[in-house]
Amino acid sequence: MNPSRPLFTWSLILIVGFLTLCPVLMLLLGSFSEGLTAFGVFTTSKYVAAYTDPALFDVTYNTVVFVLGSSVLSTLLALVLAYLNTRTDIPFKPVFTVLSIVPMMIPHLLFSVSWALLLNPSNGLLNVFLKDVFALQEAPFNIYSLWGMVMVEGLLNMPIAYLIIAPAMAQFDVALEESSRVFGAGVWRTLMRITLPVLRPAILAAFILGIVRSLASYAVPRVLGMPGEVDVLATYLYEMISTGFAPDYGKAAALGMSVLVASISLIVVYRALTSEGGKFVTISGRGFRPAVIELKRARIPIFIGVGVLCLLMIVLPVAVLLYTSLVPYSMVPSARAFSLMSWKHWIEVFQDPVSLLALKNSLFLAVAGATLGVLLSVFVAYVIVKIRTRASGLLESLSFLSFSFPGIVIGIGFMWFFVQTPLYATLTALLLAYIAAYLPYGIRPLASAFVQVHAHLEESSLVCGASPLTTMRRIIVPLLIPGVVSAWILMATMFIRELTVSVVLSRPGTEVLAVQILSFADDGLWGKLSALGIVMILISTALVLLAMYAGEKFKALQGGS
Amino acid sequence: MEIQIEGLSKHYQSEGKTVKALDQVDLTIPANEIFTLLGPSGCGKTTLLRCIVGLETPDEGEIRIGGEVVWSRAKGIAVPPERRGLGMVFQTYAIWPHMSVFDNVAYPLQIRGEAKSVIRDKVARALKFVQLEGVEKRSATKLSGGQQQRVALARALVAEPKVILFDEPLSNLDAKLREETRKELKTFLGELNITAVYVTHDRVEALALSDSIAVMRAGRIVEIGSPQKIYFNADHRYVADFIGRANLIKARVAGRHGDLTVVESGLGSLHCQARDLPEGSEATLCIRPEFIHVDGVASATPQGGQNVIHGRVASMEFVGEVYEAEIHVGEEKLLARLDPDLPVSTGDMVSIRLAPQHCLLVSA
Repeated sequence: MNPSRPLFTWSLILIVGFLTLCPVLMLLLGSFSEGLTAFGVFTTSKYVAAYTDPALFDVTYNTVVFVLGSSVLSTLLALVLAYLNTRTDIPFKPVFTVLSIVPMMIPHLLFSVSWALLLNPSNGLLNVFLKDVFALQEAPFNIYSLWGMVMVEGLLNMPIAYLIIAPAMAQFDVALEESSRVFGAGVWRTLMRITLPVLRPAILAAFILGIVRSLASYAVPRVLGMPGEVDVLATYLYEMISTGFAPDYGKAAALGMSVLVASISLIVVYRALTSEGGKFVTISGRGFRPAVIELKRARIPIFIGVGVLCLLMIVLPVAVLLYTSLVPYSMVPSARAFSLMSWKHWIEVFQDPVSLLALKNSLFLAVAGATLGVLLSVFVAYVIVKIRTRASGLLESLSFLSFSFPGIVIGIGFMWFFVQTPLYATLTALLLAYIAAYLPYGIRPLASAFVQVHAHLEESSLVCGASPLTTMRRIIVPLLIPGVVSAWILMATMFIRELTVSVVLSRPGTEVLAVQILSFADDGLWGKLSALGIVMILISTALVLLAMYAGEKFKALQGGS
Repeated sequence: MEIQIEGLSKHYQSEGKTVKALDQVDLTIPANEIFTLLGPSGCGKTTLLRCIVGLETPDEGEIRIGGEVVWSRAKGIAVPPERRGLGMVFQTYAIWPHMSVFDNVAYPLQIRGEAKSVIRDKVARALKFVQLEGVEKRSATKLSGGQQQRVALARALVAEPKVILFDEPLSNLDAKLREETRKELKTFLGELNITAVYVTHDRVEALALSDSIAVMRAGRIVEIGSPQKIYFNADHRYVADFIGRANLIKARVAGRHGDLTVVESGLGSLHCQARDLPEGSEATLCIRPEFIHVDGVASATPQGGQNVIHGRVASMEFVGEVYEAEIHVGEEKLLARLDPDLPVSTGDMVSIRLAPQHCLLVSA
């Protein structure tokens, strides 16, 4: 048995290298070129144009406030929720699990739209309602503002931060806190001096991931920032390549380079933090159970707070979309509104050829993209986990690199590439870009599946007399199936809702769901938008439920038989 | 079946350095014995086991199992593990999580294509043998650690191999369970007519289970012998020190007295077990704490052939069944175990008897 197959590893490096480095190289080349058609003529004029633009100052300021504000909000919320769930006697703990899965079901684009429908200054449902009740002259809230964007982005990134912080908190050795109490520190001092410092790597990791995600975020600034002319880097970049008659891909590439470099550096820090995490967070042996802190009288009020958060994050967005899709035009819920309800928008959407094409394209991209993506991920994960050579380390770094790519920047890089090829404005172009941008989402569940298959499980089958092929069929493949299923579903849900890459690469004929929803938003067709949006949520939800069902089914299979 | 190993070597490249995992190992493991490879971690014992079973490929040498060559560099023979027909219990048990207990145990028989009814009977017999009846339908990973260990054993036994290999099978169990399982394993293996190769770093496990023990260090076998030989009469200082607690004292051979060897040491002139050492040569005197007899404060009259020396109790520590005491004899310090009834306290002068057959001379 020869475990190091260099040819296999290097051909994977070639494929993954192309997918991740091609957009980066094209972006770099493009940033030194005159324009999409004048590719190859060296010029630095685009850098000069991009970085001397007076608008850049405001955009940078907005971006910094948006990115830091939303990351602080998401990390703080996650910290409080994780603490409540793992360390206190708050009731209905399963609610917290629901809160951490929700972003899988409600795409960021629709979450932002639903907040626009609730809190926009002219006819936002909540604003109109408050104006009526308190007899106000003006709408009390304006979601089309920097603070509105910070709030919505913060809520959207909270579950990711929670998924990082909660496990660290659950593994926390309570003896560290108890000894602090014994030495005379109070609850508050212990929290500040012991608990939070020990959890620092997890908290920082969550914060940095929040920064990377909000830096790449396009949905929130597009829906909530553009109407109030609050531009951040993502929307500013998009305006360069879309507005009117003279899209400037060179200037966009030049500015995109900075965003890319910032993003990659942050991800490098994030990786260093998460790999170091084990050193800080102490995991004690078996039989250890964290002490539960009694909330006493605060128990119910705190629970109500969490309940309100659930309402804001899950119930309200879906309810608003459903309501808007049924009423003829924007109106506050009333007896009259309910009497006017009809399926008009739904029927229109399903008779709209572009919407149907978008639906068809998105479904194709989800199924084909996820299948190809998972196939590639299986091989990459195998090499990363099982073949530990220098080449496999290179592959790991390559495949993790695209995790840091802001979708819009990578879209611009791919645009520079596809324009030179017959793939321009085809679904294949979108397919390749999707896989490139979301490869880590396929590799990670599969890598952990491979880690789970301990070498001894393979070896004992060989010792029992099974050939390598039989071992593959009866031991390795069955153990990998859960990883394959969850990777496929994860990629498919990402592709169904994909916005940031598509918005750059999508052309007439290759519309996808998110792009079509955005064009409804631009035209103010909120009813149709809501109807199509709910279709999107339904597909995503169905996929997530399918994943959970498949997981349960598989567990049952393992337990019984 | 007998296992013969000749000139087996295996090298690893680690951080640019070459590590000799196995260094010219020659070894014969007799048929139908429990044979233990004992040594600290990194001594090559697991590598040797994995070479026997075929999961690791040596660089040089030859391995024969029951007379059949299964690996030989010179002859270009390399039988893959699945065709060596052995049984093995892994350190992690390697219980397949996607299969029930029955399927785990039935696997080797299914691979051989045995009839369903035969498989059912044999699995039932194997599970009965390891006292694990009535859990066939359960998911194997839902069992306790000790039960998983027995599933692994049943799986290794079910196809009735002539050789069974154990890679530290008890190291994942907690102390109490480890002791119980060790006793069971001894009973199980005693009932079978089988060659067992057992790898461990736990000296008690090795002493309790084995017919023979091979002590390894740095890819080489230092000494082979019965547990009693290794414990009471080791030839090497390393082996004597590794197998149990020992006072190791520098000594010089002074001559012979009857069938005993006489040495000069920091403890004075002592009669020791006979060793064929020239007069004036350096040796190490090894005395285990449990064989140091302290007779109390009152100085006893020397008895014929007994070594009697005097020392001062420097410290005493109560550890349950005995006191552990440090006794200073001249410049030397001796660790001894004192009967709790003995009327001795710190600072007392005591007389000590050392039986010559427990004064062991090992290589310096």
